[in-house]
Amino acid sequence: MTIESATASAVTTEAVTATIAEFLKSKTKAACAADTDLFAGGLVSSMFAMQLVVFLEGSYDIAIVGPDLRMDNFRTIGKMTELVLRLKDDSEAAGDPADGI
Amino acid sequence: MTLPTGSELLADDVELVRTLVDGRAGEWDLAGRLPEDVLRTLGGRGLLCTQVPRQYGGRGLSSEQTGEFTASVGALCSSLRSVMTSVGMAAWTIERFGDLGQRRRYLGELAGGRLAAVGFSEPDAGSDLAGMTTTVHDDGDHIVLSGEKVWTTAASYADLLVIVARYADGAAAVVVPSDAPGVRVTKVPDPMGCRAAGHANIRLDGVRLPAANLLGATARPVMMLVTTALAYGRMSVAWGCVGILRACLESAAAHAGTRKQFGQPLAEHQLVARHLAELYAAERTSTYACLEASRSWDSRSPDMVLAAVLAKHVSARHAAEGASAAVQVLASAGSQDGHVVARAYRDAKMMEIIEGSTEICQLLLAQHAVAAHG
Repeated sequence: MTIESATASAVTTEAVTATIAEFLKSKTKAACAADTDLFAGGLVSSMFAMQLVVFLEGSYDIAIVGPDLRMDNFRTIGKMTELVLRLKDDSEAAGDPADGI
Repeated sequence: MTLPTGSELLADDVELVRTLVDGRAGEWDLAGRLPEDVLRTLGGRGLLCTQVPRQYGGRGLSSEQTGEFTASVGALCSSLRSVMTSVGMAAWTIERFGDLGQRRRYLGELAGGRLAAVGFSEPDAGSDLAGMTTTVHDDGDHIVLSGEKVWTTAASYADLLVIVARYADGAAAVVVPSDAPGVRVTKVPDPMGCRAAGHANIRLDGVRLPAANLLGATARPVMMLVTTALAYGRMSVAWGCVGILRACLESAAAHAGTRKQFGQPLAEHQLVARHLAELYAAERTSTYACLEASRSWDSRSPDMVLAAVLAKHVSARHAAEGASAAVQVLASAGSQDGHVVARAYRDAKMMEIIEGSTEICQLLLAQHAVAAHG
């Protein structure tokens, strides 16, 4: 197995979901399901929401800006995973690294 | 010929600022106004928002490079540094929340010299920004903005005002040309510190603008907008405070090394020497906190959010204490308005109030401590 395919296989629904869940657990000490509403439970403050944005951008080399930067995209682990996969697809289709930060 | 490196470019830019300021910061402080040509010259070279990426026509500097540049400007003139903070924060807000077309248009304008300010505070919403009442609503393919912002730094110089307002079920940031009908900008008379930073109150009476002026065309939680925009502002204020401390240290050490009382230089009197030691420790500690935060920012570490709050808190508190000590060391020699340490004393106190007061920073740091260890 090459390094390229290892990297590619890291950006799957399962892998992204697991990475985000691990980050959340390390920061909040709470285990969350993919569909747990993170805001309703008070787990995520506005400070922490921004940490999440920076974490996803840094981990997946994407830019979450403009219309994508809205709370709904961060409401659950599942929503964040969808966002990462979509932005990753977009940047690969465009053939250049994400702009932004 | 090799291209100049980032730090060489920065050295030229620092020299340019020094030449433009030319020891006139005290005069500007007393007059309560920065010369327009100084702002236009620096703005036209992209030096008021140096982190704007190159693809939008900006300098594309890192947070660390921008920070060192900000400190060097802050050491000369906190009013000028405050304008940099405002333009940079406006650019950052547009970069984060604008769609591609808005980023290209407005970031290009700011990197090319247009001046901007960001309006958060209102008469009844200071630290509690979630209580803001300025609103924006859709009206066909236009939007209409109404409300009042107070103490907006740099607003009296700004061509563009980035206004945070309630929108639908959340909030939005709107780019408002300061000459749009219904906008009234009134300078705050005689601010205590950063007197030439152009603080102003803004009235917005049914200001009608194209819908394209609303960043990202969507509502977001008000605190998400505020937290994101302020993250940049906090970094900039923190580095500005490092500049204040460097200016105070230089002035106090030079004075204490040469002025003699009781037959020896002030610096050899132990109680004065302690002021110098604490000033040095304050300058170093603040620099380290800022460097750590900027490196987190540049490496896209999630720790940057808290590190920015910590850097702002540590630097602003040290600047207020350090400036007070510097005035004490210089005594009558530094007690005239306009003197570098007299300005620092008033300017630094303002830094404990803006971009998250000392108490708001303490609340955020305490929440973090409890979340991590509670």
